[in-house]
Amino acid sequence: MLPTHDLDQTPRTLLVSESSSFLDPKNRVSAQVEQLRFNHQVSVLLPECSSAPSHLDSVLNSFSSFYLIRKLPVYELLDRHFLEAAVYHGAVYGLSYRTRIDEDNSIALTPNGHLTLSLDKDSFELLGFEGKPSRFNHRTATRFVVSVDLTDSSMAPGGRGYLRLLTGLTSRLQLQTDFLLSHHPGSGASLQSLLSRYDWSEHRPEVSCRVLSDLSCPALRSCDPHSLLEWLGAVDAGCHKIPSCHRSPVPTRRRRFVTVLTHLCSLSCRCYLEQPRLESWVSMTVHGFVDSPVSWGDREHGFLRGGENFYTLMMFHDHTYQLHLATGAHDACPP
Amino acid sequence: MAVFMDLNLPFSSDRSHLGSIIETAAHLGFSTIAINYVFEPTAKKKQEIPTPTPISELMDGLPVVQGRSRPVRVLNRLTVVITDSSHFRPNAPEYRRFDLLAVQPTTEKLFHAACMVYDIDIICVPVTEKLPFFFKRAPINGAIDRGVVFEVSYSAAIRDSTMRRYTIANAVSLVESCKGKNVILSSAAEKALELRGPYDITNLGLLFGLSDGDAKEAVSSTCRSVLLHAGEYYMLNSVAVIEHERHRKQFFFFFFLDQKPGRRPGSRKADEELTSAN
Repeated sequence: MLPTHDLDQTPRTLLVSESSSFLDPKNRVSAQVEQLRFNHQVSVLLPECSSAPSHLDSVLNSFSSFYLIRKLPVYELLDRHFLEAAVYHGAVYGLSYRTRIDEDNSIALTPNGHLTLSLDKDSFELLGFEGKPSRFNHRTATRFVVSVDLTDSSMAPGGRGYLRLLTGLTSRLQLQTDFLLSHHPGSGASLQSLLSRYDWSEHRPEVSCRVLSDLSCPALRSCDPHSLLEWLGAVDAGCHKIPSCHRSPVPTRRRRFVTVLTHLCSLSCRCYLEQPRLESWVSMTVHGFVDSPVSWGDREHGFLRGGENFYTLMMFHDHTYQLHLATGAHDACPP
Repeated sequence: MAVFMDLNLPFSSDRSHLGSIIETAAHLGFSTIAINYVFEPTAKKKQEIPTPTPISELMDGLPVVQGRSRPVRVLNRLTVVITDSSHFRPNAPEYRRFDLLAVQPTTEKLFHAACMVYDIDIICVPVTEKLPFFFKRAPINGAIDRGVVFEVSYSAAIRDSTMRRYTIANAVSLVESCKGKNVILSSAAEKALELRGPYDITNLGLLFGLSDGDAKEAVSSTCRSVLLHAGEYYMLNSVAVIEHERHRKQFFFFFFLDQKPGRRPGSRKADEELTSAN
């Protein structure tokens, strides 16, 4: 008949699974999970408890608040004082809010000082700065990515590259977007000068808890990653059956910006596991923003029909873990 | 990628009905829509090409696109159903009132003329009946070179199961001939319930034989190129210079930065801006 592509195929997804132990000095779990910088939801599933353990509660409540700035002109991110106070110290995360990666211009600022602008063709041509066509362009180049290292000497204030980008953003392409800004704990003061000039509001991640009963549970150590993730997704979505008692604290609102201190989270989960229990595992799933211009390892992220990028950490009683890193069609391979 | 567009929403004189369709389209995520005035000239009596109603008369305020802060953009489009070569008058001044110009050919000869000769933006593929002619590669490639796109409407498939068969069969035949290039998918929805979201239409495009990337472009980038092509026609006529295709694109590069796509001289948009300035 026709040389059409196979209708049974879904768009490409990638799943990288690794299992190791926290006690192994060569385990890469911190290095891997820190590469997913922009996350909006954390789900923790704890079996056999009726209320969240106190140390986990305190960790969840200690997430620093983040700020939403309305209509921030993007050239403000190049402001000399902001760069010196926040960006050079590696303390600030920023992401444009309510911009869709496949329709609009999106901006991301990572703590290593990289500013990424994902622009459509007209905006890129107006801006007049170096950039590359997106890796996920189809027939024609309709999306371009401008990636700038603000800590590089060429982008020092007053330098040629800096002035060129600043001129582009102030006179040629006046990009203005709602912006989410967050910081490492303890460096909130560095953002105050920027915040004071615009309309901003402070937000905290919401924490909500649900008790699930009558839940059937597969053999978690031995089942394959796809079935495991499917089961976890079904539990998160609320479709569950047979007996066992679990509780899962699940932040419900999407679009809340969480620079996850997964290290602390996973430590407190491990403390929980040390106590003797029948079911000795904890799962933690962290979802990245679907509309972020960067994903794993600061590489480009796109949205074909779904922009999923997330990881799941299954921790067991004997300090072993399974880490599953997943992305969708328009993404680079997770580390 | 570009914003999502639906370039075929049939005009209806019932203001509230059309308003509800536009609101649904904005709610589903379409940033640009085009109201389609269909004109079917018959040999028997002389008919007048309809005049587009200014959007301010149709709706009090344009709805904001879901998830963004800008209101939906509304354009005007004319579709001429041609059964005879005299029905389409090239360079008719009435066509200039519209932002987009489309034809629906009914015979092979007219399809060939529409692909190779007529100064139009969109060629509508019939979806409510068996194809009256076969698609040949030569005129289709000619149309692709000129920047003309082929449109498949999906709402007939929602209304009726027989139409669904014709829609899929005709669309598959088109995609096989054009290899997925220059295809747009639009609704032609007569009711708000017949509209579907852009990602659903992308999935529908897979049924028609388009690849993932082509199907998504059919609702976004290809529609954008239609608007740019419509604007190009305007620039070409006003400067009155005929150049080779490649040179034309370089020559007009600097104009596009200011030129809003889809505007033709004397179009409704220009009139509206003048009246609002006064």
